[in-house]
Amino acid sequence: MNQELSSGFTIAANAPIAVALAISALLFVIGLVGFLCRRNMIIMFLCTELMFQGAALAMIAFARLRMDVSGQVFVIFILTVAAAEAALALALVVLLYRKRETLSADAWSDLGES
Amino acid sequence: MVPTIFYAACAIAAAGLALLLMQSGSKFRTGATILGLAGIAWILVIVVQTIPTPASEMGPLGLMILCAFVSVASAVRVITHHRPVFCALYFVLVVVSGAAIYVLLSAEFVAFSLVIVYAGAILITYLFVLMLAQQSPADIGSADAVDYDRIAREPAGAVIAGFVLIAVLGGSVFSVSEQKAESILDQNRAIRQGWSDLSMMPKLLLEQARRTDSTVTAVVARTDGQMIAVQTDHSAIISVERAGQMTPTDLTLAPSLLPDNTSRVGMALVKRFPVSLELAGIILLMAMLGAVVLARKQTDIADDDRRALAGLGKVIDGSQSSQGKANR
Repeated sequence: MNQELSSGFTIAANAPIAVALAISALLFVIGLVGFLCRRNMIIMFLCTELMFQGAALAMIAFARLRMDVSGQVFVIFILTVAAAEAALALALVVLLYRKRETLSADAWSDLGES
Repeated sequence: MVPTIFYAACAIAAAGLALLLMQSGSKFRTGATILGLAGIAWILVIVVQTIPTPASEMGPLGLMILCAFVSVASAVRVITHHRPVFCALYFVLVVVSGAAIYVLLSAEFVAFSLVIVYAGAILITYLFVLMLAQQSPADIGSADAVDYDRIAREPAGAVIAGFVLIAVLGGSVFSVSEQKAESILDQNRAIRQGWSDLSMMPKLLLEQARRTDSTVTAVVARTDGQMIAVQTDHSAIISVERAGQMTPTDLTLAPSLLPDNTSRVGMALVKRFPVSLELAGIILLMAMLGAVVLARKQTDIADDDRRALAGLGKVIDGSQSSQGKANR
């Protein structure tokens, strides 16, 4: 009976879903580490996109587990927010680059307290 | 027992990543890469071993593990490569292998939109800005990258913070295996939802009915007022009019005619999240306006010129605009 169903309706084995969740956790953490470590502002924003990727993958995996497309719809909204964030962040980076002529985040450390 | 091994694997992967971020000699680097890959492989093996897998699922699982290595390795390259342009290109690799995983998880529509939106649009924007804000070769001097791309900021602390997080997250990954009983209920609900989605799309419904029986001319409501009646064997019964027949008759649709992923996502988007859809449009519009305002070339206009543009006269001795008008 299950062969007749299209794959979105069959019960998936849990192992692929668990692997997908492990990948999503790894992507999120790698993005986090990159955001903390890198000093180039553009790469820092690229790392936030990496974290978005991890979150979206977790959404898809749980949507597969529950056989519900709401998770996939959420990923579409995540894509929207990521696109908006990229546009705004990159405009800000261009603005900051014009002011200090460097992409280094350290050039703006005088904004902090210490 | 499992958590201890899992924490050990996390520690090894973390050590590999930290060494890669510290950027030493090339021999050192090979060792660090092997260490990191071994850690990731160990994490995946633990995850797969914890959850029993039927032999029929081994194919997709193998493909997924392959994609896992590609995406995690290129993600590591994104944060360790010296040259920002290469980082962006490695990110494209992360997105493409991520899309492959989406397809394996039967989310085809999102996979394609991910490639189009991320690899096609967002990454191109990133590359534009990278080219725009790149330091000229004269500033860099040699072929090597600039300082702030070469030297990481506190790699050890960041990696420890990150992998403590992943060790905590790992516990929740292990608890996924307890869900089998609920899955049957989920499947029945999903199939009912799928048929009800199909009944909302008259054209597709007629098409599917014609695919079953080519003499069908129209699909009509059943006697109980519903469009569709779902059977326990996942098939559905609809009421159709055939060519040369006066009264509607029943037609059974096989489960293979359930709507595909794209139809279901579209239906959910319009039927269950209409307000969010409109809000997404507004967010995109606002982002566009914001980007235009932020990135516009800001020219300094002197006060007098600004007043001239507004149709006011020049200020003399700080006096107000009424006097300015008189001067004109």
